[in-house]
Amino acid sequence: MIDGRSFAAGQAFLLSVKTHWTRAIYPAVRAEYDKSNDLFQKNTLYRYFCWLERHLQRFKYSGRYGLQPYHAQQREQLEKTLEGAPVELQADPEYPDYYTAIDIHQHPGGVWSDPIAGFVYERGARSTTPLAGMRHKDLHERLTAAALGGRPAPARILDMACGFGKSTRPFYEALPGAEVEAIDLSAPCLRLAARDAQRAGAGRVRFRQRDATHTGYPEASFDLVTSTMLLHELPPKAVERTLAETARVLKPGGRMVHLDFLPGPDPFDKLVHFGHSRRNNEPFMEPLARTDLAALLGRLGFRDVEIRPFEEADGTLAPGYRYWRFPWALISAERW
Amino acid sequence: MKPEQTFFEDPALDRAFGVLMALAQEVWVLRDRVKAMEEQLAERGVLDPKKLSEEPATDERAAEREAFVAHLMQSLAGEQQSKGLP
Repeated sequence: MIDGRSFAAGQAFLLSVKTHWTRAIYPAVRAEYDKSNDLFQKNTLYRYFCWLERHLQRFKYSGRYGLQPYHAQQREQLEKTLEGAPVELQADPEYPDYYTAIDIHQHPGGVWSDPIAGFVYERGARSTTPLAGMRHKDLHERLTAAALGGRPAPARILDMACGFGKSTRPFYEALPGAEVEAIDLSAPCLRLAARDAQRAGAGRVRFRQRDATHTGYPEASFDLVTSTMLLHELPPKAVERTLAETARVLKPGGRMVHLDFLPGPDPFDKLVHFGHSRRNNEPFMEPLARTDLAALLGRLGFRDVEIRPFEEADGTLAPGYRYWRFPWALISAERW
Repeated sequence: MKPEQTFFEDPALDRAFGVLMALAQEVWVLRDRVKAMEEQLAERGVLDPKKLSEEPATDERAAEREAFVAHLMQSLAGEQQSKGLP
């Protein structure tokens, strides 16, 4: 039995170590890289940097005070809160192989196989980026502001891979009159998202279990299609199909905004990001970074393609910012 | 289960550092709990936090500590504690 205080203290310890990793170890590794030769992979501090990234995440999910065992012992109460959540689920969902072959984020069973996976993922996501909580505006709100800014309000929005609804919420809160469709493959996440939307009194959002590569919506049925941290979880063919599906369901003149990770040309940034990909059980970050997205989007019927670094929190794009962060990138375009 | 990823020349270090981090986490969980207990006991007047924290006038637990240290260091001697093979 893991009591609440011990769980909170155990997780807080891990977050403090991760914060130290972010603010102290990462800049020190960068400094050693800058003065090193091609044998950098053998650098002792770099090895600890890698070890910590891999194993702090293991402790967080599966350790003595892990998210999975802590939530599993509350299984009955948690599942009860999901009863009656208004969500459209498939009777016999087909999951792609890449989705089931690897437990992403080192989340045991992945984000989809256990009925309580949504709770585990939600709790874990609160501490994914140690410094984010210290700044005033959440990245999902920033994405919503970027997607909606300077344009007529979209009447119909599709949020692909909405997870437990964190990315969808700012849209239905900012535009209570819009019809928001939110899809994901994970039933446990969708049920949590639907429960929370219902509690928030959101009437015009629908959560459905659908694959972003073939959503089942009619052609030209949305003004805005978004996703957050979806593309890097997909193998290249599924990235292409997802963007083609984005084009298909958008109305002419409609807009797509996908928020994801794309490292810049700096070799150290690539080393860290592609290493993170392997250490965090998310193998498709490197193929995504090597894809010519602008050309692909052009072929798929988009114009005004823009791929730019995204400031996920105040000051993270400022020159001299030296702490670890994800290479956030906003990929946006307009449908012909 | 697949073998865990390794980052050091000798995977023994990968594993031993995991043991160390598990102990460090346990130390923090215990510290947090002891502090919480002290606060709750002090609130009820059961415990005097000032007296608890000041330097003791005598070495209150010398014998217990020496036994603890002897047990901790015993393995370094490298001697069998029972009759066995050479």
